[in-house]
Parts: sequence; structure tokens; C-alpha cells
Amino acid sequence: MSLISLKFLIFVVIAVVGYYLIPKKYQWIWLLVFSYIYYISSGVKIVFFLVFSTAVTYMTGLLLQKSEEKESTLGKKKIKARKRKIITLALLLDFGMLGILKYTNFLLGSIGSVLGSSVPEFDFLLPLGISFYTFQSAGYVLDVYWGKCKPERNVFKFALFVSFFPQLMQGPIGRFETLAVQLYARHSFDGQRIERGVRRILWGYFKKLVIADNAAMFVNSIFGNVDQYSGLAIIGVLAYSAQLYGDFSGGIDVVSGIACLFGIDLDENFRRPYFATSITDFWHRWHITLGTWMKDYIFYPISLSKWMSRFGKKARKKLGKQIGRALPICIANIIVFLVVGIWHGAAWKFIVYGLYNGLVIGISGMLAPQFRQWKNALHINDKGKGWMVFQILRTFVLVNISWFFDMASNVPDALKMMRYAVTKFEISELFTAGIIPLGNNNPKYIMLVIATILFGCAVLFVVSVFQERGLTEAELYRKVPFALRCLCYVAILFILPVLGAVPVTSGGFIYAQF
Amino acid sequence: MEQLIEILEDIHPGVDYETCTTLIDDEILDSFAILSIVSELEEEFGVSLTPVDIVPDNFNSAKALWKMVQRLQNEE
Repeated sequence: MSLISLKFLIFVVIAVVGYYLIPKKYQWIWLLVFSYIYYISSGVKIVFFLVFSTAVTYMTGLLLQKSEEKESTLGKKKIKARKRKIITLALLLDFGMLGILKYTNFLLGSIGSVLGSSVPEFDFLLPLGISFYTFQSAGYVLDVYWGKCKPERNVFKFALFVSFFPQLMQGPIGRFETLAVQLYARHSFDGQRIERGVRRILWGYFKKLVIADNAAMFVNSIFGNVDQYSGLAIIGVLAYSAQLYGDFSGGIDVVSGIACLFGIDLDENFRRPYFATSITDFWHRWHITLGTWMKDYIFYPISLSKWMSRFGKKARKKLGKQIGRALPICIANIIVFLVVGIWHGAAWKFIVYGLYNGLVIGISGMLAPQFRQWKNALHINDKGKGWMVFQILRTFVLVNISWFFDMASNVPDALKMMRYAVTKFEISELFTAGIIPLGNNNPKYIMLVIATILFGCAVLFVVSVFQERGLTEAELYRKVPFALRCLCYVAILFILPVLGAVPVTSGGFIYAQF
Repeated sequence: MEQLIEILEDIHPGVDYETCTTLIDDEILDSFAILSIVSELEEEFGVSLTPVDIVPDNFNSAKALWKMVQRLQNEE
């Protein structure tokens, strides 16, 4: 069931109305039932994987707690070893399932190309949202393992934590500590909250339909026919910047808006990423819940591991204090972004995408003291607006380089497009017959679509500037009378499909494939 | 404590560590700086941190960091 469909809207309306009509103590059960209905509507077979992941993590939580209770009789050391065995097995089962389903064919294909022969591939199902609920579940068991949270004893309550339907397909990746308590709480109807949710859903649809889906038509043509549209490589990647942000953050806005209707605040996943002043800052603003997940569950554990500590000490002795201190962090960074790349998909281009990000962050971290010295020597005022604008533009260029790997069919195509981006520019190619599948190749229609995208981006930019300056949306909307606000919401709901490229895109989201 | 402030100034200069209590909340220290501090704490004070110790409460101020170091020294 697509997030952009009448069926889905009706589904949400029924779920919300019923949620506030039934006794409050049954609200979480209502959410669980609707979550499973939603998931089953995408395919009955894939429910098995969701149930498997839920069962494994639920049991692991209880086993970890049981082990801890025996600490006084069996001793700390023995219990630590036992807990380690339990968590290792749980993570192997959780990530093993994800790995087999998502990466087996990629590995077989890579082995085949190395051996120069074709290796038969498996026809695996890739359950929707598996990467998201696997990461969320793994985070939970690690939190229990580290003693950051107590395990949930009620299996059905726990099942809701794993399957809460708005966030199941594309996140945000929730934390048990903050999400579970909201899911199980009793919520009263709150008109202001409902309005906030509706507004957020409409804003998400605006980003998705007006910006992402229109831009997608150009992106698909340009990235799919690299040589034919060689003069549009730069426009292609800029359009992809707009598409990806509109698609993913728009989807998250819809998801968060729906959760808001149920009285639940999901973690924020975006904070105006194209205003980032460095790649590190970009990852603090883009797909935030994946970034913090990676930081807490991979980056810190690797960096603080005994073997990394030993390596750091050796590096200090041989390479000096500064490099010795920074090198282990750089390596941990590269490992994290390698995982981020692999998480994005089973293809070499995603591995290059991850490594590129890891290397840029790692190297800039290593060279930070040198950069500070250069800035001082050149008398650069790093608190000034000029420097900030330079940093934002520099980061935007660096991010766009990574988008070539993300969107191109493969690494050679990405490199070819990068070359075209700096050596060729032919705006007239935008009006080539067939570049968009709508409008019967009429240049006026193409102009209209471009104008729509630019209008969408301009609105997004203005809103983002307001948000960057700390103005909340409530302050802006409060000045408009309630009746007029409602009229605007209805008008927007009807205008959006007209501005969007609905006949072509059919409402799919990029990150729902993960 | 003085030694700790020296470490902080070496890793991320230009901050008043005596008074600042929002090193993490205001994103003054990023994960790179945090781990550089951890590495120095291990080297200078002989303490070893685990992922559970990496929380804002322990890193928001020099005072909180010093408290954590003393706690870890007592535990070891």
C-alpha cells in the first residue's frame, strides 16, 4: 500500500478515528493490528521475516535479563561471557537474515565475474523495510546488552515496537527508550496535534510530488542515457539532489505526520542537510537516525575496542601523538561508511559511495589541525558569513560528487558523468524529444515541469532559511485564522496531484526499497 | 582538572572549558573530538571507556568529564 494513494489515506483515517474512539488502554493493540494489516497488504509471505526478527530480538532481551539475574550466583565473568554469546547469536540471526536476502546474489555475481563464469542466482524475496526493522531491533538488543534499557516482557507490545506501520517502510530508525514509551502510552485526542500532523503530511506530499517526482523524470532519463544526455550531467546531478531530498525527507514528513496523528513523535531524520558546512555536518543533518545508529552501535564500539586501542598506542609510538590519536578514528569512520554504503544496496557503486564519504570525513578529521593553522596564517575569519557560505557550497559540491555514485547505474557510468559534468554543458538537450514521458514532447510542457520543480525548490529553500533561523512553523501558521488554514489544507491536497507527475511515478519512494 | 583542560584545548581550542556546560548539546565537540579526548584520557589517566560511557552527560563540560575520569579510576 503506497503512502501516496487514496487507499492509504482511507486506511489512516480509519486507524486514527478508531484510535481515539476505543478505550485508551487498547490503543496500542489497535496500532499493532493496523501495523500488521498494513504489512500483510504488501504481501503475506514477507510477514514471516518480520515475525522472525521480532521473535529473535524479544527472546534475546529476556535471555539477557535472565543471565544478569544469575550474576550473583555464577559470577560477573561467567555472565559477561554468556551475555556475549547470546548477543552474538542474536545479531548473527538478525543480520544473517538481512545479509542472505539482500546480498547473496551480489556476492555470487561478484564471485562469478572474478572467475569469469556465470554463477546461478537465487530468486529471494526482499521484504519491505527489512533494513529498517532489522537495525531498529538490533539497536534494542544492544541497548539491553549494555544495560541502557530494560527488556520488554510483553511480546505483543514488543511486536508493535518493531512493526509500527508509519515508520516500517523507510524509517526513521527508532530507539526503544524514546519510541516504546510513546507507543504504549494512552493518548487523548488533541486538535492542535492533529492539525500539526496533517500539515506535516501535506508538506511531505509537497516535497515528494512537486519536487521529487517531477525531478525524477529528468533524473531517470539523464542517468539512464549517460552518453545521449552528456551535456546535462550537471543538471542531472542537481536534479537528483532535489529528487532524493524531496523523496526521502518528504516520505519521512508523511510518516512523522501520521505518527503525530496518533500522538507519537518520531525522531527527526533531517535537519536541512544542504545547509551543512562539512560532510560530517551533512551526516548530522541527513538520515540522522541512521547516522546516530551507526555512531552508537558501530563507530564507538569499534573505536573503543581493545584491538583498536592497542593499534592506537602503537600508532602513537611510531607516528606521533597527533596522527596516532586520529588514525584509529579515521579507520573506524571508514568502516562505518563502508557499512553505510553496503546498507544502501548490494552493488559496488554503493561501496564506493560509502568509502568516498568515509575517506572525506577521515582525511578532514586527520588534517583538522593543519586546516586550523592555514586558516590562522591566511587570517580567515571562520565566524564570518562569507566563510560559512563558502563551506556550504564546498559541502554541496562534495555531496553531489557522492550522488553520482549513488544514482548512476555503475561506477564507470558515475565517473563518466563526473567527467561530462565539468567538460560538457548543453542546455538545449533538456528539450530533446522523449526526455520526460509526459506532455507529448511539447517544449512548453517541459518548461512547465521545470518551472514547477524550481517553484518547489524555491518554497523549500525559503522555508528552510526560516527554520535555520529558528522560526518554528507554528509561529508562522498561528497568524492565519483556523477556518482559512483548513481551507488551505484542502486546497493543497487537491492541487498537489496536479503539480506532481503522478501518472509516471505511481507514488513509490526510493528508500522504501531498502 | 588542569591537565584535562589542557587536553581539551589541544584537541579543540577556542572554547572556555572552565564555564561551558553544553559541549555536546551545542555540538561544540563532534564524534571525532570525543574519541580524541577518550584516547588522551586513556593515555594520561589510564582509564578505559566503553560505549556506555559515551553519553552527553559525561561530555557536556570539563567538570563532568573530570567526574567520569575519577569514577573510572576508582572502579579500576
